Amino acid sequence: MSLQVVAFAVLAALILYGSYKVVASPLITHSALFLALVLVSVAGVFLMLDAVFLAVVQVLVYAGAVMAVIIFAIMLSEQREIGGDPSAQRMGFGEELRRALRSRHWGLLPAAAAALLAVLAIAGIGRLAAPAAPGAASTSVADVGRALLTDYLVPFEIASAVLLAAVIGAIVLTAREGSDARDGGRS
Amino acid sequence: MWLIPVLPFAASAVLLFFGRRLGAVLGPLVGAAATGTSFVLSLLGLLALRGGAPAYHAQIRWAEVGDLSIRMGFMFDKLEAAVVTMVTFASFFIQLYAMGYMRGDAKYNRFFTIVSLFTAGMLTTVMADNLLLFTLGWEIMGFASFSLIGHWFEKIENAWAAFKAFVTTRIGDLGLMAAMFLLAAQAGTLQFDGIFEAVEGAAGAWWVTLAALFLFWAAVGKSAQLPLHVWLPDAMAGPTPVSALIHAATMVAAGVFLVARNYALFEASGTALDVVAWVGGVTLLFAAVVAVLQEDIKKVLAYSTMSQLGYMMMALGVGGYAAGVFHVVTHGYFKALLFLGAGSVIHALHHEQNMHRMGGLFRRMPVTAVTFIIGMLALAGIPPFAGYYSKDEILLAAYEANSALFWIGSVGALLTAFYMTRAVVLTFFGRPRDKHVFEHAHESPAVMTVPLLALAVPSLLYGLLAPQLLGQPVHQWLAFGGHAAHHEPSSFVMAVATGVAVAGILLGAVVFGVVPAASRKAVISALRPLYTVIKNKFYFDELYQAVFVRGTRALAGVAGVVDRYVIDGLVNGAAALTVFIGSQTRRLTNGFAQAYMLVLVGGVVLGIIVFQAIGG
Amino acid sequence: MPLPLPYFLVLGALMFAVGAWGALSRSNAVRVLMSIELMLNAVNINLVAFNRYLTPSELTGQIFSIFVITIAAAEAALGLAIVLMIARRRGAIDINKINTLRG
Repeated sequence: MSLQVVAFAVLAALILYGSYKVVASPLITHSALFLALVLVSVAGVFLMLDAVFLAVVQVLVYAGAVMAVIIFAIMLSEQREIGGDPSAQRMGFGEELRRALRSRHWGLLPAAAAALLAVLAIAGIGRLAAPAAPGAASTSVADVGRALLTDYLVPFEIASAVLLAAVIGAIVLTAREGSDARDGGRS
Repeated sequence: MWLIPVLPFAASAVLLFFGRRLGAVLGPLVGAAATGTSFVLSLLGLLALRGGAPAYHAQIRWAEVGDLSIRMGFMFDKLEAAVVTMVTFASFFIQLYAMGYMRGDAKYNRFFTIVSLFTAGMLTTVMADNLLLFTLGWEIMGFASFSLIGHWFEKIENAWAAFKAFVTTRIGDLGLMAAMFLLAAQAGTLQFDGIFEAVEGAAGAWWVTLAALFLFWAAVGKSAQLPLHVWLPDAMAGPTPVSALIHAATMVAAGVFLVARNYALFEASGTALDVVAWVGGVTLLFAAVVAVLQEDIKKVLAYSTMSQLGYMMMALGVGGYAAGVFHVVTHGYFKALLFLGAGSVIHALHHEQNMHRMGGLFRRMPVTAVTFIIGMLALAGIPPFAGYYSKDEILLAAYEANSALFWIGSVGALLTAFYMTRAVVLTFFGRPRDKHVFEHAHESPAVMTVPLLALAVPSLLYGLLAPQLLGQPVHQWLAFGGHAAHHEPSSFVMAVATGVAVAGILLGAVVFGVVPAASRKAVISALRPLYTVIKNKFYFDELYQAVFVRGTRALAGVAGVVDRYVIDGLVNGAAALTVFIGSQTRRLTNGFAQAYMLVLVGGVVLGIIVFQAIGG
Repeated sequence: MPLPLPYFLVLGALMFAVGAWGALSRSNAVRVLMSIELMLNAVNINLVAFNRYLTPSELTGQIFSIFVITIAAAEAALGLAIVLMIARRRGAIDINKINTLRG
């Protein structure tokens, strides 16, 4: 077996197991950690696909900043689920799966819908006329940078604006919340 | 000449608006004056025709409906002359009589208004030159009859009697409408002369027979022939002048007139004529039999009318056009006389109508009695009274056409004489059976006796004098088509006719005058089943009630159920369904973001499937 | 020999399905947001794979992915800020209890 196949297998396993755990894990802190695992594995996949810059950005932004934000949110909100139910940690795979599959309001419907989606997608993929051999990768980081500032300048600027808005929004949201809290917690 | 029907219309309108103000004397006089003038005019017309003037015909353009140009007009030829003079004469005197009879009645004015309206309707029908106008008059008469039968509608039975009359004749009227549609379609016109022209070219065609039968059905209703006869006895609930005018002299004769008017149609279809003859024959016998056992004096006369109408129909059916029409005229005179006489008795006895409670009134009410007897003799067909001539003609025609009908007619004549004698004997002779009632009896005032006398005259003399009046033998005056249906006078028929009448009278006098009541009762007990059946008029009313009335009510019940549960159910169900769908759809907007997402994913899945299916 | 394209696409599809399932069925808002991140990553894998195999000389897929990451980051930040606010007011982040927009 070639190195590629092995590497892909490992990464795929990590990704799939990790995503499953993100959804099904009873403790939300575990979910967050598994998400981090998934994100890093995805970066690995990017590397396999010769998207070096992208892999690095993935690690920096996603596995770094976004994860931090998520963990902060968990910390500041869910008192109950951080400690959690001791018995929940001892659940076997079957039990966990069963609990996860049944959603509170819709029963098995979400799982079924998602499964259906997957089936359809894979069926579609199966019918794809797949180009077997990838051509030679001929891109580099420099190329990415150049493209961003020439062909894709407008989206670049808009993305900047979006980020700015997000930052301002986050500050406004939480700042108002803060001043209300200072005023005696009246809500 | 067109004034003849119009004058009573005008009188009716005047009475409608101003009757109250005109008061008890002037009001009816307006009506009577109008009718009287019409009589004079009709008499003049008759004399003019006699002198050889051509038939009168006036028309106006009424409407254009597609291809059909409807013109309304009046005509006055020999047929009309004979009938209209009788109608106006009778109506005039009956209105005079009613002034006395209806005195003190709360709805006095309404009575005279509608009587004038009725007269107008009858004259319209008789003088109409097209089927549409004919039907208009016909309907007016139906309405007037309904109103007048139910004149005393405070008593619910009277209202029901009026209703019954209206509904039953309405069933007949369907025939009129069907005939109108048929004839308009086939002959292209509703004018009588146009229809007759079309018929000439198509004798024996299916539509001729059908139209004739439809028309006859209407006549059956109006003239109370079997099977639509049930309303006439009940119609006696109306005031006696009404019975005299409408249900003896005129309206019921309109049915016969219908057949006579459209005789071309009937002649062209042998089937229709046979139907007419036999229906007439059966009715005549049936009614005569039932009349024998009636207790109410008016009911006897009602069944007698039914029977006489049967004679007229039979006559027309066997080709005796002149005989039938002549009998219409004579019957109008003496039947009106008889009814008014009965009314006089009833009025004098304070509305007692049961003959078994009368008796011995001859001395107390001589004028009434004598005129009544004159009418009775006319009805029985004793020469030289009017009825003899017309009845003799009818029997002659029947004899020449169909011996079975002849014997039916003869037996009927026997019965007629018998029951009329019975009526006379029970009412006027013998010992008074109810002392209390008898005490009140007195002769009626002049306003009532004068009409009695007036009507007695033609009852007595019309037969004798008609040829003088008309200037030619009756059968020539009332000739139909080219041929004067003249039958050789048969001495055999004359003998039978007279013999039967005399026998009937003698029998009646003996049975009811001489034979003691006890023996009569014994005979009745012996024949109890037969007696019961006849007494109950052969249970026709009961049959109709069970079948038609109950049946219709049941149908209405079913329809009601269908309406409530099926139709309303559908409508309400649709509304409920909409509400239900709405309430379910509402659950989609429940505020749960995940629900929305679920729908989203579902939509994506659906989209993929559809996209694949289309072949994208 | 290099891996055929469908492998990556299938990986992406499965990851997307898992993420969808999580977003639809979990009741904790933070978990839902994390599931959404999963979906976005799956999309990125798809984009990059297609880019690598179909048009290796161009960068369209990668650039697109960069923007996806950018927007995802912004969205995560804001989403979590809102989650925090709600948690403060109501003390719970049960999505099923946040239904004041019901109609």
